Amino acid sequence: MMPSLLALMPMLVIGFGALALMLAEVVTEAKAGLSIGTAIVLLAAAAFAGAGWIAGPANLGDASVFAPWLVFDKFTLFFEMLLALGGALTALVAGGYLREHGLERGEFYAILSFATLGAIMLVAAGDVLMLFIGLETMSLGAYALAGFRRGNPKSIEGALKYFLLGSFAAALMLFGFALLYGATGHTDLVGIRDGLAVGDALRSPGVVVALVLILAGLVFKVSAVPFHMWTPDAYEGAPTPATAFMAASVKAGAFAMMLRILLTCFGDERSASWATGWPPVLALLAVLTMTVANLVAGRQESVKRMLAYSSVAHAGYLLVGVVATIRAPEQATSAVLFYLATYTVSTIGAFAALVLCGSRGAEVVSYEDLAGLGRRNPAVALPLAFFTLSLAGMPPMAGFFGKWFVFKAAMDAGLTGLTILAFVNSVIGAYYYLKVLVFLYMREPAVGAPIAKPMFSGEVATAIVVCAFFAILLGLTPGTVLDMALAVGKGG
Amino acid sequence: MIPVEHYIALSAVLFVIGAIGFLVRRNIVLMLLGIEIMLNAVNLALVAFNRMRPEAHTGQMLSFFLIAAEAAELSIGLALILAFYRLKKTVRIDDANLLRH
Repeated sequence: MMPSLLALMPMLVIGFGALALMLAEVVTEAKAGLSIGTAIVLLAAAAFAGAGWIAGPANLGDASVFAPWLVFDKFTLFFEMLLALGGALTALVAGGYLREHGLERGEFYAILSFATLGAIMLVAAGDVLMLFIGLETMSLGAYALAGFRRGNPKSIEGALKYFLLGSFAAALMLFGFALLYGATGHTDLVGIRDGLAVGDALRSPGVVVALVLILAGLVFKVSAVPFHMWTPDAYEGAPTPATAFMAASVKAGAFAMMLRILLTCFGDERSASWATGWPPVLALLAVLTMTVANLVAGRQESVKRMLAYSSVAHAGYLLVGVVATIRAPEQATSAVLFYLATYTVSTIGAFAALVLCGSRGAEVVSYEDLAGLGRRNPAVALPLAFFTLSLAGMPPMAGFFGKWFVFKAAMDAGLTGLTILAFVNSVIGAYYYLKVLVFLYMREPAVGAPIAKPMFSGEVATAIVVCAFFAILLGLTPGTVLDMALAVGKGG
Repeated sequence: MIPVEHYIALSAVLFVIGAIGFLVRRNIVLMLLGIEIMLNAVNLALVAFNRMRPEAHTGQMLSFFLIAAEAAELSIGLALILAFYRLKKTVRIDDANLLRH
């Protein structure tokens, strides 16, 4: 096969595009075009990934000369499209938000682009070295975005907690991989798998400790209970577009990493068995995550914090899907991928709608701020209601089908108890989502309370329209994306 | 020659010391130091394991990249600590208490 850069195109487009935008920002000082420029660069990367998908990963030529440690399969291409789309939507939301709140600094878009690039490298990594560089590129970008409002104590505090716990988790994972290198002599994921398959390697204490450390690091990154403490703080303190990015793209990247590591290195019969491996641990964490997050989310007074706990709860549902991969690998993998697609558009849409509800000096934070907005500004209240319902999993929204396929995969894998718990949780979870609707449409602001003045921004409105388009598409005709996710599940 | 196992044991001890330091210390700079000790334990383990398999330099390569990535991570961390200190005039994690449930 001819050496070719085609498979690398999405990454190259983002990398060079981000550099060009940085240069343009310095030379022209034109801030207004940056958000649209970033969105165009990221959408171009998504288009390249889409073209690669249509051509088939096998026909992209041999990229191993340039990038021997990257894996270019349908899994990578699917996440390239999803992450680039998430990054582009975030850039659009940021365009409106940063201008309105006087935070317009060019770094945001550069950091956003490189963090998206890091997430894509993380997804494509076939080697621990690449995986770690991707993870750090993504995480360092996310820390910086979370602390973007330097003068705001909440923003810095959230970013600091996020940074400390995130670095701790990365260190745990790295020590785990160092132990695996000691046990197998390999740092590439396939080599680790083959090394572990030899003899009694899986029973050695070093490998068991390694698996525990890697699992701990992974659940930190996907913010599962009890490793979720940083999530609400980081999400509440960060500027809203950065929150959307952390909730959607960073979470999708972390779950892709989890699937890649567990299915490649620990997919053998012993590690992936109910009696001796990781599934019971993840199942327990999934139950804890869903239950605790849903209970605590109901008590929040801040909508942003509620959405943060909601993202923790979604991590719980996704973990159910990850556990189901032990008995129904193809179906469960595709269900997790489809869920991540619905979750990405619903979450970014919800945060974008929340951005539109507030304006400079009067950012919408609490439920009270939303009171009566449905009557005063129906055009702003409708998208928020729409995406909240999608997150709640109300049929026929996208979120409903995401949950449906994950629960069905878990049922087919014989995890009846886990599925029932997940279903009960999703019903409890509907309560705090409906609270948003109650405040939007059935309450009036208290006398003398500050009244939220919605802003207008073409960029944010565009992002909402695109999110709504995909949310409706995934809800009414889930077939196309589901077929793509199934193709990923089948491999190739 | 010192056997490889000794290096591994030292690295494990360092890793635990770093982890305990991170969890016990209340000063953010010292917590960051704990993380650095953990990461250096990782580097030591990688280089030591590499000596058991001298035919390739995978472990040493990885540790070089980790050193660079750690430097980047540290710079973000120190920037955040500095910003925190400017606002709060303290570097104790207990004073990061604005965001509560």
